[in-house]
Amino acid sequence: MSLRTQRPALRRALVALAALPLLATAACGGSGTEDGASGGQGACEKSEGKVELTYWSWIPGVEKAVAEWNRQNPDIQVSVKSTPNGNAGTYQNMSNALKAGNAPDLGQIEYDSLASFRLQEGLTDIASCAGVKEAEDDFVKWTWSQVTFGSGGEDGVWAVPQDTGPMALFYRKDLFEKHGISVPKTWEEYYEAAKKLKKADSKAYMTHFSQTDPNWFSGLLWQKGASMFGQDGDTWKVDVDSPAAGEVADYWQKMIDEKLVATDLQGFSPALYKAWNQGEVATWVSAAWGYSTIRDNAKATSDKWGVAPMPQWSAGDNAAGNWGGSTTAVLGKSEHPYEAAQFALWLNTDPKALEILNREGGLYPAATEGLELEALKQPVEFYDGQKIFDVFADSSKNVTTDWTFGPTMTDTYRFLGDGISGALGGKGTLGDALTQADAKTVESLEKQSLEVAK
Amino acid sequence: MSLLTDTAGAHAPAPASKTASRGPRESRLSVAVATGFLAVIAVYMLLPVFWLIVSATKSQGDLVDTFGLWFSDMHLIDNLRALFAKQDGVFVPWLLNSLLYAGAGAAVGTLLSAMAGYALAKYRFRGREFLFSVVLGGVLVPATALALPLFLLFAKVGATNTFWAVFLPSIVSPFGVYLSRIFAAASVPDELLEAARIDGSGELRTFFTMAVRLMSPAMVTIFLFQFVVIWNNFLLPLVMLQDDRLYPVTLGLFTWQSQVSRDPSLQILSLTGSLVSVVPIVITFLVLQRYWKAGLAAGAVKS
Amino acid sequence: MTVDRTAAAAAPPVKNTAAPAAPRRRRNWAPAFFLLPFFIPFILFTLVPVGYAFYQSLLKTERTGGTFGRKTTVFAGFEQYKEVLGDPEFLGSVGRVVLFGLVQIPLMLLLALTLALLLDSTVARLKRFFRIAYFVPYGIPGVIAALMWAFLYDPRLSPVVELLDQVGSAPDFLGSSMMLWSIGNIVTWTYTGYNMLIIYAALQAVPGDIYEAARMDGASEAKIAWRIKIPILRPALMLTGVFSIIGTLQLFTEPQVLRSISTSVTSTYTPNLAAYSLASSDNYSEAAAMSVTLALATFVLSFGFLKFTGRKAES
Repeated sequence: MSLRTQRPALRRALVALAALPLLATAACGGSGTEDGASGGQGACEKSEGKVELTYWSWIPGVEKAVAEWNRQNPDIQVSVKSTPNGNAGTYQNMSNALKAGNAPDLGQIEYDSLASFRLQEGLTDIASCAGVKEAEDDFVKWTWSQVTFGSGGEDGVWAVPQDTGPMALFYRKDLFEKHGISVPKTWEEYYEAAKKLKKADSKAYMTHFSQTDPNWFSGLLWQKGASMFGQDGDTWKVDVDSPAAGEVADYWQKMIDEKLVATDLQGFSPALYKAWNQGEVATWVSAAWGYSTIRDNAKATSDKWGVAPMPQWSAGDNAAGNWGGSTTAVLGKSEHPYEAAQFALWLNTDPKALEILNREGGLYPAATEGLELEALKQPVEFYDGQKIFDVFADSSKNVTTDWTFGPTMTDTYRFLGDGISGALGGKGTLGDALTQADAKTVESLEKQSLEVAK
Repeated sequence: MSLLTDTAGAHAPAPASKTASRGPRESRLSVAVATGFLAVIAVYMLLPVFWLIVSATKSQGDLVDTFGLWFSDMHLIDNLRALFAKQDGVFVPWLLNSLLYAGAGAAVGTLLSAMAGYALAKYRFRGREFLFSVVLGGVLVPATALALPLFLLFAKVGATNTFWAVFLPSIVSPFGVYLSRIFAAASVPDELLEAARIDGSGELRTFFTMAVRLMSPAMVTIFLFQFVVIWNNFLLPLVMLQDDRLYPVTLGLFTWQSQVSRDPSLQILSLTGSLVSVVPIVITFLVLQRYWKAGLAAGAVKS
Repeated sequence: MTVDRTAAAAAPPVKNTAAPAAPRRRRNWAPAFFLLPFFIPFILFTLVPVGYAFYQSLLKTERTGGTFGRKTTVFAGFEQYKEVLGDPEFLGSVGRVVLFGLVQIPLMLLLALTLALLLDSTVARLKRFFRIAYFVPYGIPGVIAALMWAFLYDPRLSPVVELLDQVGSAPDFLGSSMMLWSIGNIVTWTYTGYNMLIIYAALQAVPGDIYEAARMDGASEAKIAWRIKIPILRPALMLTGVFSIIGTLQLFTEPQVLRSISTSVTSTYTPNLAAYSLASSDNYSEAAAMSVTLALATFVLSFGFLKFTGRKAES
């Protein structure tokens, strides 16, 4: 333990350390297996006899859908465990469990985390499982491109799409009416509306700009077609600070600078809910699942909200972004990929399952057939009887398929979040945040020893 | 309640001289100033607790819409009922788990610490100071730095997601060994040990019959501290456990809190749950404090 | 500077009270019997993980083939340490907690000392109640304590801010200039009672007649506190000081919770938060290197503190 030890001892230690790399490389060379990427195109065969599967998910009420499956399939029994949201600990737990070799057969994974899990060799390629490739047309297009990593199935199918978060504009009809603001169709109009609102009521904000939701911001980039990543052969392209992304950043920077958006409200915080209830915040550009967030947390504003399509960058367009949504993935070490894939397909395409997931968990389905659910065609009471899901159904169809999440998305979000936090605190701009996030993301890919195109 | 009142809070010896000295010397003013200062600090310490109590009685809506430091409509019973019913009543196993991890873990840990501390104080053998140094080094290792490597090691033997994965690491208390050594050195006289040996008592018997009794105040102290440390430990169960039936209450409440955006009713439940989970800690403290001051006294190192 | 030095500094009585030389030949097995039950789990659950973390910190990931590739782990020497020590954000986070410690630790210990002295003096009343009141915060799990304070800091939710605004204006507890001290307040709130109890208990160990004698000589309570009690308390204060240093370097829960409501806390706000962020993006090796660096920093600062206070005691 003594640090000021005699020199000779130190030298001996250094010699020993210098020898270690040789040993280590020797050891690694010997132990490596030579079969391609994990999962690969291995056979996906039916198991003998009764199979028991485990499944982790955080959809409220998912156990009811699972019970229905178990009733129909006595030989493939699924037990579901309700976990915290992915980023609130479940992903960490899943990757820990993958390391420990006791991961569940199936897990809920959001689109933006699929690549990370594939990178950790945590996913099973289910392309060769019966019915999987055929299911392509059952799902909204962009979701299939996400689970196949844009390769149309050439590079495997790594999960089954579950739900999506097509984005639209939630706005306070009463406040807009009161101050004579019309529903903005373009971002330019949105900015003008924000100014008008501020003028009419100095305490009101157009929306809140949250540091804790970098995935919300990437939903805005998605609409603009500013994909953060790309793949070019064997190399990754990092495009976090593309010119298109810069435009989005500059736009919101202007909103922040002119104090048109609240910068001290974090997403999903009680403070935000209070501000909603008190009419301090007039709009929220959010995903389909956001309807229940407002409904459940801003009860005092019943009948006061409306939903309109997302504002556009140029008039007449109808582009939409996506925020959130998840997949059901067969995890890396499952012994029953066939049965697991069957369950995943059923859970996300069977009309009864879709109905249960929508009713209990408020999921907005990724299956095209799911968009036709009876429940999604009804007027929604809280929204003054507006058929809000018609708006989201359009939005869902208009989400661009050309969007790639990176394999170290947790890092990218973190860098983006840190940068946004700086911009909101008056240190730097959102543009700087993108530049920093870009540089650091390149670094983090390189740390994972991935090739990055310069 | 007698527990509360029995524990006179001052120097164990000579209560008589104490009352005598409390005579005329202190002016009313200094008593008022001192007590006033203590009261102000007590308000500071208890204000958040009071807020927690008030919040636990509110409905979800009132939580953000009414003044936080006073009661509105009484919903405590509803909240408690919802708390114990949520997810098939998982809150009860959480509480029991915590009691088991913390209670049994602290009990075993205290015994092991007392034995080691006793040996380090009362026997002379080669490497004794070295061992003690290693133990002290152990006090300084950040517990957070241990959680991940521990997880990976438990994974190697396939023991993650078990009761033992949280329990076993919890029984190690280097700080307990440190306190035990100091206390054993101070409170177990060598003459007594010699006398026991001459009487033919075995080493074990001497320890368990005599030394333990003499060291019991220190052991209660170690138990209390270790109990609180395990009860509050959050990172280790977070990485080790996947089965929510094995969760301790802190992790369970954190899980709920992190799901609030999907299920807003969890907000009030996690607050109510927090309040309920503090109760066992306070009871433990009240029960143990009568033993406890003397124990700490020796532990905290007289010069 | 060896570990032995701490043993001597933190535990002065041991040397004096250690058993006098006595015939012990027959009892060679006894110490082993008493020590093993502790040392076996200690080795397994503390020393081995530390060694393992160190081993991990010497590795790095390599991949071959494709945009995802296949992962292998290779030995990388001290490469990760170079990475960690060259990371301005990590260094910034260390600087931040050091600043935090320099301000918060003395304040907290001073408060704890004052409270302990008052509770031990003859001037205060209701001592039993106060003792429990001060200890309660320590019994509240860190996550929950941070959540409660988060509510009390939030300008839109806090009744405290509401009250302060009525009598003047409340500070922006969650702003970037206040954040570190808002965290400091949570830490102070949680640990003052704990430290007070350690100090208070040390006072209890002093025979009452020492004070009695001083009183006979006409010394005031304040003078007794300053001249007699505080010198007696030196070892206890050193102990609480070391624990506070360790706790400060390990700050994690409070900033982690406050992150969800404030823009002022980044993912690398404290060293531990930075290490956790790395681990959750599957970069175990660098996270391990960070933890080891942090543990070393803890050793250095704790020993430095003990040495510093020890030297002052001698002079």
